[in-house]
Amino acid sequence: MSIPISMTVNGQPVSGSVEPRTLLVEFLREQLHLTGTHVGCDTSQCGACVVIADGVSVKSCTALAVQCDGSQVTTIEGLANGATLHPMQQAFNDHHGLQCGFCTPGMVMSAVDLVTHAPNPTDEDIRKGLDGNLCRCTGYQNIVRAVKAGAEGMRTGMGG
Amino acid sequence: MPRYVRARTLDEALDRLAAGRWRVIAGGTDVFPALADGQPGREDMLDITGLAALRGIRFDESARAWRLGALATWTDVRTAADLPPWFRALKLAAREVGGVQIQNAGTVAGNLCNASPAADGVPPLLALDARVEIAGPGGVRVEPLAAFITGVRRTTLAPDEMVTAILVPDPGRPGASDFLKLGTRHSLVISIAMVAVVLWRDEAGAIAAAGVSVGSCAPVAVRLGALEARLVGQPPGTDLAALVHESDGDALSPIDDVRASAAYRREAALTLVRRSLARCGEAAA
Repeated sequence: MSIPISMTVNGQPVSGSVEPRTLLVEFLREQLHLTGTHVGCDTSQCGACVVIADGVSVKSCTALAVQCDGSQVTTIEGLANGATLHPMQQAFNDHHGLQCGFCTPGMVMSAVDLVTHAPNPTDEDIRKGLDGNLCRCTGYQNIVRAVKAGAEGMRTGMGG
Repeated sequence: MPRYVRARTLDEALDRLAAGRWRVIAGGTDVFPALADGQPGREDMLDITGLAALRGIRFDESARAWRLGALATWTDVRTAADLPPWFRALKLAAREVGGVQIQNAGTVAGNLCNASPAADGVPPLLALDARVEIAGPGGVRVEPLAAFITGVRRTTLAPDEMVTAILVPDPGRPGASDFLKLGTRHSLVISIAMVAVVLWRDEAGAIAAAGVSVGSCAPVAVRLGALEARLVGQPPGTDLAALVHESDGDALSPIDDVRASAAYRREAALTLVRRSLARCGEAAA
């Protein structure tokens, strides 16, 4: 049973055909070749696969592609404006909010969702808001700094 | 290959359930992780997220109860502004389910249907005397949550039925509630023990009724009836934590596993009960 689906990904209309059990992340990576969304654990724990669907952050390894038929999806590839990084991406760069970088796409997407809903987060808000994302390198200190700066950048519409 | 259908109406969903075997899915947070393990999904999936009538949280005047639609997510509970203060236990549980993304997708009703011994929603809703509204071919039935969950991942839900709402009765008196959960980490972990306490006060401030429940320490979350009876009638200012007896732990049947020993779970559960009673007592005194 193959089901035709269409959705808007990073502002572009896309369509494809998927099995019912196809996860959103599989559709994004394997059919759309948007490999910036990572799969770290496959058990909805690590958060490397976070994307924004219809205005809220979701783990794309814990969503069926068919359930996103008709949705608006933003992945890490949809944040930058050409060569200009999104303020949150710029802030992660400026504050070294990463080491190996594997968790970074999910961290950035969760951070963007957090700041969208709480424009001026405290350190505690940031730590709570990122509780669905695991990083095994940084110890989180620079990530929290980056998100704080990224929030400032998003408020002022400038790079972090 | 398994089938997938997105129901448009409740009647369509019930017709499908009457005609075949379906796994009802909404947020899918307990279902989808199993799809990634290389095993092909074998169950036909009936997606109910299109049933707008099952969304949202509202007060039902005729039932004198708060109605959490079957599609109400943990984020809906966490952010609901109009819930009375005694919903705090469920709101605290909502903040600790999985992480933000799981709260955005997962539903409270799904948490009950999944019937895990460690389901975060069960202790608060049990202590609040919640009922489960179930639709099936014979119409709608309402069952106390305490009867709905019958064992580890077992409920009274028949294959041709689905949950449509959770009903939380509003007794119309002041109340306070609390929820505490112990895990090795705050988020994304399965609880070692968790506790919900609900205290209702009469006009004089004495405890008129109490609900104390413990999760992760038995196949199904349990209420500590003897302790609840001891709490009733206590005047304001009582040291409620001191009313907890070691024997209250006899209602629990915790297991030894990778997360904790049975003895630790029992000890931890009673400690959480004492803490929660103290927090509730302060809030409502």
